[in-house]
Amino acid sequence: MAGLLNLLYVFLYAPILYVVFVSFSEDIVWPFPLSLTSQAYADLFSNSLYADALANSLILGVGSGIISTAIATAGVIGILRYPSKRRTLIIVIFLSPLFVAELLIGISSLAFNSRILGLPGNMFSAIAANAVEGIAFSFLIILSQLVRYDWQMDEAAMVFGARPARCFWEVTLPTIWPSLLGAFLISFILAFNNLEISFYNLGAIPTLPSVAWGSLRFGLGPELFALAALTNGFVFLIFAVMYVLMRTGLVKFGYRGK
Amino acid sequence: MKPDSTWRDFLTPFVLLTGPGTLFIGVTLLVPLLTVVMFSFWRTESYELYADWNFDNYRVLFGEAAYRTFLIRSVVSAAVTSLICLVLAWPVAYYIARHGGRYRLLLVLLLAAPFFTGVILRIAALQGILGPGGLINMSLGLAGFAPIKLLMYTQFAATIGHIYLYIPFMVTAIYLSLVNFDFALLDTAKINGAGPFRAFIEVTWPLNWIGTSIGTVLVFIPCLASTITPRFLGGPNATSFGMSLSQQFGETGTWALGSAMSVVMFIFSFLVIAVLKFTIDLRRSGFTGAGR
Repeated sequence: MAGLLNLLYVFLYAPILYVVFVSFSEDIVWPFPLSLTSQAYADLFSNSLYADALANSLILGVGSGIISTAIATAGVIGILRYPSKRRTLIIVIFLSPLFVAELLIGISSLAFNSRILGLPGNMFSAIAANAVEGIAFSFLIILSQLVRYDWQMDEAAMVFGARPARCFWEVTLPTIWPSLLGAFLISFILAFNNLEISFYNLGAIPTLPSVAWGSLRFGLGPELFALAALTNGFVFLIFAVMYVLMRTGLVKFGYRGK
Repeated sequence: MKPDSTWRDFLTPFVLLTGPGTLFIGVTLLVPLLTVVMFSFWRTESYELYADWNFDNYRVLFGEAAYRTFLIRSVVSAAVTSLICLVLAWPVAYYIARHGGRYRLLLVLLLAAPFFTGVILRIAALQGILGPGGLINMSLGLAGFAPIKLLMYTQFAATIGHIYLYIPFMVTAIYLSLVNFDFALLDTAKINGAGPFRAFIEVTWPLNWIGTSIGTVLVFIPCLASTITPRFLGGPNATSFGMSLSQQFGETGTWALGSAMSVVMFIFSFLVIAVLKFTIDLRRSGFTGAGR
């Protein structure tokens, strides 16, 4: 099984390595024999289109990530801590966006915004439409981590006079933050790189995926490969730090064993 | 002034905590979907929608062979992809949950990290590896072998692309379920004489079926609506229902027909969910913690 796991990682990262590799080569269509150049990186930083697109993607990702995590956390605490007859209904509602394809979320909000409300493409609609999907994923992640959370600790804090808000910040949050971080990251990535929801909601506002989509007609620009390579470098830097922290046991990220 | 007592009874902590999400999803998901259902009974003429109620869009959709072909192709492709992902993802998720130790979270994040690279770039890279001028076939050519035709712009290549894009969802869903699974139950089964296979079939599999079916839906639905992958990897004979659908809202501007296609796509997604829901036995779900 370890072999299959490694094979899966190879399968998942082969194209990523290919992207990094291509970003340094002179010919992106057939990058052999290898001739290294950093031209793509120079072009990337001199072209303001990519800076705008990156900024818009970041706004989308952070906005959708915050909304998703906040709403999903409240929802999970609601159903786990306060028993109610409507619990199943709430679970179904919060998970329902998972069962609607991104294409349909994008197209239906386009139809509603443009034909019913008469709104042009805008950032708020795009954040909201991406957050719908983010909420469902966040809810699933946080719920699966919090099912085993012991609410007696919170009740103890309340007995000693803590108000609900203080109890959340000082008792609940320190224990559950890794799953909230996980939920934020997932909803951030989903919105950051989303093409189909964002494309239909943003109109002419460029994001990284829509720039990639637009440039496909003339063949992908090597700058996009360079940008993807930089993003991956950054992500793997974070993973390396996490690995060191886990290795030394400094931060456990929710793991309860030795 | 004190709020009305009936309002106070209604605004329980449960309602205050779950209300915002319910409202948000209602306004940003349900209302737009209902709009699309409404448009599917309207008529488009030169990019404008007219509210004369009729079934023409559905008649076109089911009458013309092309749309039927696209739909069947997409449904079959989504089903095959889900099945392959299911078979591949289970051992992987099991291994991470059981033997990942303190690195479990990192191992799962490694599955999610490819998402940091946009879908288009990853598919373009896959095309650069699989395609006619790609890594595999050019290397074969240089070594004097014939290229593998199967990899060049076929439904097979599109399926590889789908597996590539969506298998992380399946692994993560099964993993999240297994993390909450009490592996001591497995030991109990073995002590009572069950072999590893029987213990898996009668204990591990049914108790993690909800997670598994969520993973299946998470793979099936985006595959059904897939537009980019078949366009780049599938070649001329892989036009999908999703590609045709997005065309109605783009180039052709026939919004009413596109809305009808959206409704059909939604119905198919819903059918799969309904079938899976039917197989779920909550008493054997292992999610007893949530149903307490």
